[in-house]
Amino acid sequence: MADFLTAYSIQNWLESCPQGYLMGTVYGHRPEDEEPAPLLENEVLREEAIRTTVQLVVGERCALAASSGLINAAPDEASKRFLATQTLDEARHVEIFTQRLLDLGVPKKDLESTIQHFANPNLVKFAEVLLEKVDKKDFVAGVVGQNIVLEGMAFSVFEMLHAVSEPTNPKFARMLSGTIADERRHVGFGENRIGSLIKQYPERKADVEKLQKEMSYWMLATFADAFRNNPARAEFKRIEGELSRAGVHAEWQGVDLLTKDPEEMEQILADTVLKEFKTRLSRIGIEYQTPDRP
Amino acid sequence: MGNQEPGPQANRTLSEQDHFEVHDLAPEVFYEQVHSFEFWFQAVQGYLSGKVYGVDPNLSAPSLPDLDRDRLITVLCNYCVGETAALEGASGLIAIAPNRHTKIFLSTQVVDEGRHLEVFLHRLRLLDVADPEGEVERRASRSLLLFKRRLLELVNGKDWEAAIFAQNVILESLEFTVFQSHAREADPVTRDLLLGIVKDERRHIGFGENELGRRLQLAPHIRARLGQVKRELDHLVLDTLEETLLELGADPVEREKLGRAYLEAAARLGLET
Repeated sequence: MADFLTAYSIQNWLESCPQGYLMGTVYGHRPEDEEPAPLLENEVLREEAIRTTVQLVVGERCALAASSGLINAAPDEASKRFLATQTLDEARHVEIFTQRLLDLGVPKKDLESTIQHFANPNLVKFAEVLLEKVDKKDFVAGVVGQNIVLEGMAFSVFEMLHAVSEPTNPKFARMLSGTIADERRHVGFGENRIGSLIKQYPERKADVEKLQKEMSYWMLATFADAFRNNPARAEFKRIEGELSRAGVHAEWQGVDLLTKDPEEMEQILADTVLKEFKTRLSRIGIEYQTPDRP
Repeated sequence: MGNQEPGPQANRTLSEQDHFEVHDLAPEVFYEQVHSFEFWFQAVQGYLSGKVYGVDPNLSAPSLPDLDRDRLITVLCNYCVGETAALEGASGLIAIAPNRHTKIFLSTQVVDEGRHLEVFLHRLRLLDVADPEGEVERRASRSLLLFKRRLLELVNGKDWEAAIFAQNVILESLEFTVFQSHAREADPVTRDLLLGIVKDERRHIGFGENELGRRLQLAPHIRARLGQVKRELDHLVLDTLEETLLELGADPVEREKLGRAYLEAAARLGLET
């Protein structure tokens, strides 16, 4: 255990993250990058960008509360120190996505009300389920919920958003790529640390499996709202058509996302995330539980 | 990006950054500027760039006589206790922080405290301590452990003002005072890592004083409660200070001077010494 944790030291974090892939960035992107004018000038698209970014802020606020809350529950010093780096990673994500809301034209005085207005209630529920475990200082369930389920979901969502943004919005794509690099580290820690704890406390398995199933349901419900029930789907369709005709592609998981209907995109995202859960949970000795479909 | 929040030090020249002091900022500018990852990163980049575990890799650890080595191990073990208290305290405070800016500042403090713990444990390994965490448990000062327990009670009790006072004014001032004094006499490796840590502590104290200063202006009745917390913790802090300075071989005049320096930190907030 001690050997793998040396790879998650603050020294390594400093060298790879702030002094590595974040070097030269401002709020996670190149200083000269801005939100594209066609996005800012199209009211439907701008509102959708705000809605999407609000979900990222909500998710990252939850991750910040969870990772900082787990420090005092961690059973060893090295885990505490890794979680300290994760706490600052999550705070940075809150900061850059909040800054994006300002860049998208949300007035500073309206930040909180905008977040409350657009926050998906299913995502809020997802966060509550996790934070309940953290409040009880349940380290095993908290790390599985945070570093496998929440971070695993975030990882795939960011990858999908990155694929769509890369050809259309380099600023947002750069923010996402830095965040993805952070999430990869967090998921890796979760798998490595919890594997040994599950072996040590096999009686915790049932509770952790129940948590995964419940959080997965709220995640799928969030996806359903974002794709199936999206009010801007007609405008998205029109723009995706324009981009496709101009030869622009957004490849992810072997498909061109710009040619897919929202329902198909939801299916691809949900399948990708759940498959990842299954793989990662089996590595730590937890049996994946199929969630109900909303 | 016209709507962007105030950039940290981006517009300062290198020379200006070298002399930049958060304490010199007006409170409202301080509040906007220092509570961000961007500010933290700009600040630490100046003194952590090129360091490995807080130390210039060109410096080598000297071989110390047995008694000096043993004293240094005891001192470093107690630094680890203090930093663990600070790490657990700062992370617990995030949950009760009143706004986003404060949460983000505390997140930078969490990683600072985690780094301090890591570099002290690494220094213990360089002194051939095989099991640093076990050694910390064996050599921990009782006063400091009591202080840690009380600090975490304040945090868990969600008493924002009292917890910030105990953490960012009392504990950080104690560490600032001791580390500065120790750095003057320390071997080159220990001195280098202590000087980096002192720079972090200055930022943490600045946050604590600013946060409490503003609250005391708005609600002067808080002063009595903080005075009570201070009276409760003073003897633990002064006992810890005395124990550490004795291990470091400080003479009585120096010990008294440093005791006064710690008490002056609380006095800056108008709390009686």
